[in-house]
Amino acid sequence: MTLKTFRTLAALALSAALLPLVHAQTEELVIGVNDALTGGGAVYGLPQANAVKMAADEINAAGGIKAGAITYRLKVITSDDKANPTEATNSVRKLIDRDGVKYLLGFCCSGSTSAVASFIAKEDAVMLVGNAAERAITAQGISNVFRTRPPADFTGAAAGTFVAQRGARNVAVIGALEVGFYMQYVDAFEKELNKAGGKIIAKEAFGLRDRDMTPQLTKIRGLKPDAILVVGYVEPAAFVYRQAVELGLNVPRYGFTSGSEEQFLKVASSAQMEGVWDLRPIELTVEALGPQAKAYDANYKRIYGQEATPSSPYAYDQLYVLKNAIERAGTAKDAKKVAEAIRTLPIPKEAVMKYIANDGRAMFDQNGQAYTSNGAFQWQKGNWVYVSELPSDNKAYSSFLRSLRK
Amino acid sequence: MIELMQQILNGLAIGSVYTLVALGLTVVFGILGIAHFAHGSLAIFGGYLTFVLMTKLGVHYFGAIAMAMPVGAIMGMLIERLAYRPVRDAPHINAFIIALGLTMMIEGANLLLFGADQVIIQTSYQQVFEIGGLFVSQLRLVVFITAVSLVALVTVLLLKTKTGKSVRAVAQNRHAAVLMGVNVNFVSAVVFGISSALGVAAGALIGALLALAPGVGESFAVKGFAVLILGGLGSLPGAILGGLVLGVSEALAAGFLSSAYKDVISFLVMILVLLVMPQGLLGKK
Repeated sequence: MTLKTFRTLAALALSAALLPLVHAQTEELVIGVNDALTGGGAVYGLPQANAVKMAADEINAAGGIKAGAITYRLKVITSDDKANPTEATNSVRKLIDRDGVKYLLGFCCSGSTSAVASFIAKEDAVMLVGNAAERAITAQGISNVFRTRPPADFTGAAAGTFVAQRGARNVAVIGALEVGFYMQYVDAFEKELNKAGGKIIAKEAFGLRDRDMTPQLTKIRGLKPDAILVVGYVEPAAFVYRQAVELGLNVPRYGFTSGSEEQFLKVASSAQMEGVWDLRPIELTVEALGPQAKAYDANYKRIYGQEATPSSPYAYDQLYVLKNAIERAGTAKDAKKVAEAIRTLPIPKEAVMKYIANDGRAMFDQNGQAYTSNGAFQWQKGNWVYVSELPSDNKAYSSFLRSLRK
Repeated sequence: MIELMQQILNGLAIGSVYTLVALGLTVVFGILGIAHFAHGSLAIFGGYLTFVLMTKLGVHYFGAIAMAMPVGAIMGMLIERLAYRPVRDAPHINAFIIALGLTMMIEGANLLLFGADQVIIQTSYQQVFEIGGLFVSQLRLVVFITAVSLVALVTVLLLKTKTGKSVRAVAQNRHAAVLMGVNVNFVSAVVFGISSALGVAAGALIGALLALAPGVGESFAVKGFAVLILGGLGSLPGAILGGLVLGVSEALAAGFLSSAYKDVISFLVMILVLLVMPQGLLGKK
């Protein structure tokens, strides 16, 4: 072999070796998580941000997202909106304008999420909402907004039926009633309770920063209710449960809070919590969900050294929705195409939550809304125990949500 | 009737904490004429410190309060020496601006040291007592008794000791007190020490009864000043009565009118009292 032939063969071999590298181009895809990382909403926002990071690490470890000729490695950046609408607007603007983010995840709290939803339709971005439960977020059918958590009133109706079936006729409500989605939950609850012959005898409000609810509870105690319904963020709700016991208000306590055992035990003792019901979407319930949820729970605990909160997988599932949609769309560069792919996407096999398929196959309905089953949980000896599923009609609710569109 | 009595009981516990906060403020204001806005933030620092001592070192609740109070007293003395004393003879606006700056500094330090999360001091006082249809939790009883004991202790200190006599002398007439040989610098330091120690105890009680979080200190300082005005500027008995009146009126307003307006209603009570008695409930005419 002459030197010339050897050089030619070596050049050919090198080209052949480099060919796959040219085709399998790797790029970084920045995912923006906008959530409440400090303040009152952080009990929901921080676990959501953790869940997205965990999913991103899993996806990267498995080789990233393959879309066409490009493999995307995920980089997650977080931004704190403090559950405040103004902060959320600034935070998302910063993510889009400065960091060039096209995919926005997180969004635990309704006020801040609604503020972002009001302008996101005009942006070249996709917004996946997590724990925020305000109905209006998906009521307008914005083409680039999707939500993994069902709206509060979808759950409230199921809760009203459940409480009525348990024999309560006169129910007193105490909660963060100035917050829209809590009020929507109560309205749907009341409607179903009334149908069964029951009624709400008091509606007492507390502020998000209130911690002394004894005056309202004393007033409620005087009305001799059959049960109380507590709607609010974990911490004030835990104070209500604790102070109800301290005031000798010994009636069944129902709630809508979605807090973990750890979060409640920061405020109230297990004895003070004993018997409390939480009527909410099934969310992360190992007994009800199976091996996927078990693996999620164990991984979260291993990585972050604490229990995963019930609502945190909404955000984890967001990233798998995005992964599957990007793969389907064949690109991450065209956010519009990815949004279209999400609209018809089946429930991802990696999803932790138990979603109800729309029309038998799609994860999201015509409004961009996903639905999970609702469940009744009871505090028993230090733990939330899944007792039963609450019958919920997602098809009827989806039509109702569509009818609200202006 | 039972409901009314229960609401009054509810209000007394929180009112006793207001009293403790206001007592610290009234001592400083009455004697040194300083509106010490940072008092609330320092109180919350004390609450956090108590929490850390309990959770990291396993100290009992009262042991932790007893350890945190001297730390608070030293911090108060340092604040007086380094921040307020240099502007003692300057126009009042200087001390006012310093007080605002200190509030922001201590709030920032709390955030940096203890984080933004809400903290609740867990105690073992979880029993509930029932007397004739009225329910009192052990924790509320403990908070009330602790606050009353500290108020009594400070009252005795101010009324029955030589140091207390010096403090009262400076309060009545600073120049005359100086002429009589009272060391004004020492009195100022003692006053800030007592005030801050009381604040720290109040923070620890708030942490057990309610919660500690960024911003809570400022709201308690506002309530403390409201009590100060309601009771009469610089009046010790006025601070005690004012705190209890504010706590009870808040509970009654939330229970019988609307919880949404409880702060507004309690401040309305304050305005009404001041319209009839401009000097406050127990202030000097």
